[in-house]
Amino acid sequence: MSMRKATPILGSKEDIAFREALKLYDAKQYKKALKLVDQNLKKNSNHPESLTLKGCIIYFTGTKTEADLYVRKGLARSPTNHLVNHLAGIYFRNVENYAEAAKWYKAAIDNGSQNKQILRDLSTMQVQIRDYKNLKESRQLYLEEQPGFRANWTASAVAQHLNKNYDGAVSTLSKIEGLIKEHLSESDKVEHSECLLYKNSIISEAGNFGKALSTLEADEPEIKDKLSVLEYKARYLMLLGKLEEASKIYRILLQRNPDNAGYYSLLEVCLDTASKPVEIRLKLFSKLQKFYPRSDPPKFLPLTFVPADHPKFIELAKSYILPQLEKGVPSSFINIKPLYKDKLKLKAIESILLEFYNQKLNDKSVQPTIIVWTKYFLAQHYLYLNDLVTADRYIDEAITHSPTLVELYIIKARILKHKGEFIQASEVMNEGRELDLQDRFINSKATKYYFRANNVDKAIDTISLFTKLEEDAVNGCKDLHLMQASWVLIESAEAYARLYRELEKAKLSNEDADSEGADENEDDEDVDEKIELYKGLALKRFHAVLKLFEIFYNDQLDFHSYCMRRGTPRDYIETIKWEDNLHSTPIYSRVMKGLSKIYLDIYEQQQAAKLKAASAASTSSGSKNKKNKKKKSKAQGKKREELAAKVASEKEDQDPFGTTLLNNVVSNGNGKVLDNLFELFKPLLVEAKDNRFTWELAFELYVRQSKYVLAMQAIKNLNSVYTNYNGDNKKYKQIGDMVLRLKETTKNDPEANVAIVKVVEKGLATAFPDLTKGDEEFMQAYID
Amino acid sequence: MPREIISLDDLTPNNVGVLKKINQVTLPTTYPESWYKDALQSDQIVKLAFYSELPVGNIKAKAIKFSSKQSFENITNTKETASSGSDSQPKILPNAVYIETLAVLASYQNLGIGSKLLSFIIEETKTRFIHEIVLHVQSSNIKAIDWYLKKGFSKKEEVKDYYKDQGMEGADADAFILSIEV
Repeated sequence: MSMRKATPILGSKEDIAFREALKLYDAKQYKKALKLVDQNLKKNSNHPESLTLKGCIIYFTGTKTEADLYVRKGLARSPTNHLVNHLAGIYFRNVENYAEAAKWYKAAIDNGSQNKQILRDLSTMQVQIRDYKNLKESRQLYLEEQPGFRANWTASAVAQHLNKNYDGAVSTLSKIEGLIKEHLSESDKVEHSECLLYKNSIISEAGNFGKALSTLEADEPEIKDKLSVLEYKARYLMLLGKLEEASKIYRILLQRNPDNAGYYSLLEVCLDTASKPVEIRLKLFSKLQKFYPRSDPPKFLPLTFVPADHPKFIELAKSYILPQLEKGVPSSFINIKPLYKDKLKLKAIESILLEFYNQKLNDKSVQPTIIVWTKYFLAQHYLYLNDLVTADRYIDEAITHSPTLVELYIIKARILKHKGEFIQASEVMNEGRELDLQDRFINSKATKYYFRANNVDKAIDTISLFTKLEEDAVNGCKDLHLMQASWVLIESAEAYARLYRELEKAKLSNEDADSEGADENEDDEDVDEKIELYKGLALKRFHAVLKLFEIFYNDQLDFHSYCMRRGTPRDYIETIKWEDNLHSTPIYSRVMKGLSKIYLDIYEQQQAAKLKAASAASTSSGSKNKKNKKKKSKAQGKKREELAAKVASEKEDQDPFGTTLLNNVVSNGNGKVLDNLFELFKPLLVEAKDNRFTWELAFELYVRQSKYVLAMQAIKNLNSVYTNYNGDNKKYKQIGDMVLRLKETTKNDPEANVAIVKVVEKGLATAFPDLTKGDEEFMQAYID
Repeated sequence: MPREIISLDDLTPNNVGVLKKINQVTLPTTYPESWYKDALQSDQIVKLAFYSELPVGNIKAKAIKFSSKQSFENITNTKETASSGSDSQPKILPNAVYIETLAVLASYQNLGIGSKLLSFIIEETKTRFIHEIVLHVQSSNIKAIDWYLKKGFSKKEEVKDYYKDQGMEGADADAFILSIEV
């Protein structure tokens, strides 16, 4: 930070030294800066600026907790000193506590700092925490301070836009356009073009398509992104009801890119053909096919709207599929699959395929590749129908026919996977992989299948062929973390989780079998160690994915100012929207699914242990624990080291096995397990409301936390997810089970608040009126 | 679509698996891992054949010192002790190219792939100023022998129990030596 405009409060010797230290801090000379600050504090241990600066320095050189302490001390001594405030802002920004950073940047300005750069940092913090209301103000103030940069105008307009003040945003953008018009250099023109389109998108977002269109037409000469101009224009015309004009533009767009299926549908909307008889639509598409003979959509789309019993369907389907088989297009089945939602079409295509296949089998002069691609298609077809025997037959024949075709092994492995033969599946996938070692796709597949077979080492070794290998790294595990390969991390987490559950299960059944035989203590210890190892690693990998999401969130930070300078506000807005729904991505739910199982396992085990401890006097456990801490032999130590090298996720990993992580989860006080899990889960409640899993887990947590009203709400939300998704009012058994479980739990909880129990009872009865008929009859209604 | 439906291409460390797979399913013999490693050495003449971009055949050969008086020990030996490219041995001027494998997947035979591989090896032999190509073929494999004879090879002599190490017995273990002047 620069402190050029130092205020007169700096007078004493300490203040001069402080200023010197500050300069050093800015130059990242932390050691020298610290020396000066310490001298200051020796003279005056209460010098607030020095205290705070010391905190900032220690953040880089010492421990984080100490840094925090100094910053808070400084703030406590002088909460209205703007220098202290500013330093605190910088500190909290560094520790990624953006809300607190915003608070103190704001305080610095309110307390009279003349350093206007703070406004820029403040606005960055505000948009990071989505405080749009205050963002508008600080961006406006900064614009008034520095009106000479277009970026500041754009930034201000973005703030207004995010506040849905469309008119304000448009007027800000127009103002700078007017000011800058005569002074644009060649290099400014790309930014100018983007800003014009941004302005246009805001006008249309406000719903004023007429004005958006006329502005677009006026600005068109200055816009470089001609594709966007056409797309915007066509959309506006369509929304304004000028369909014929719009259709002309879609035809131009089709000429530019005849492979974009969306343009075809939009053209149909403009021509209003979708409501007309199939024959008319077919005519349109046969024309389009002639125009664009090399494009897929005009051939494929008719298959979606021509019904299976239409006399033309077979002919159309044949002319779409058969050339692909003859050419050997590997994706031919994937291309066709969307049609399979219609069972009649599926049957029709099946008979086309079989007829073609038999005809080719009897044709002596046929190209052998046609035979194998057809077998390949049929195998996928029967796999889709879950007819694994037939699928298997076709794929085996195909492999015998052309054992060097990599694609075949992928399907063979997938069939085995569906049969539950995970180990065999992974071996087959690997057989395919060995045919082409540089094929990244099958390398990833083989990796995934090894994970599914719980063979984590093989999986990591396989994917490591495509990772960067640091010096003395035994595999690519660290690089996979660095490269944010979330699918690898999650697959490996799930594999570890399966491994520890298997062992726990085996252990339990062993304990049941020989409850008295205590001679196998050694083995038990081994098993316990392994369970702990796998559990720790599962936790560690799941948490590694969560960490990626934190990184995704933090990565925005630079874009709040960068995009303004680069003049890419449209992409910026899109990024912000994407970030807002970051946690609704399936991978996050999958992590939470796996993680919650482990947390709940731990929680249940703790509850069970508590019960046990209450019933039996805890005398024996103490001595047993000691025995566990047997000294490890050297050989074991070395083995452990080797293992650590294999599974470490970063350089000098302090917790390679996730042991510390596991201990933290386990021993974080009673009931805390659930609270911690809930913290991780919270984003889903906001960002993934349409996800069934969100409410399933919410219910499980609320019930265990005795938050019964919220649990009831979760059931209701889950029910409406079902209703919205299916568009009907089916009564699902899962919902019924949950309702009864909640009813029973509230009733049997002696500590439950009577009023709450009443509320739940009433609420359930209102939402699920069948409940009044009695439990059994209720469940009979909920059977789907 | 490639202009030529059949094409030849080099063996690389990434597609050695293909060579292995084709040999596994077409040949009665099995080769050790080291043999495949050697296939990548520069003294080897190796090509994969592709049909419609799918690898379906291969040829692997090398230049050797060959004399018909000899008991072919050296040929057999080089095959078994695989690592032949070593510099420690004195260089002997080769006078023949020996085809170790020439294989085409069953479903892709009679399409001209073998001929293409063979004419490649003939050209390759000529560029090395060598004038003879020799090979072993299982005596019981009439189809293969006929094919070679049709291509101008002539039968030299029969080696008894040539394939015995491969676990074959009786007539199946015997091999003919075929050769052609180029």
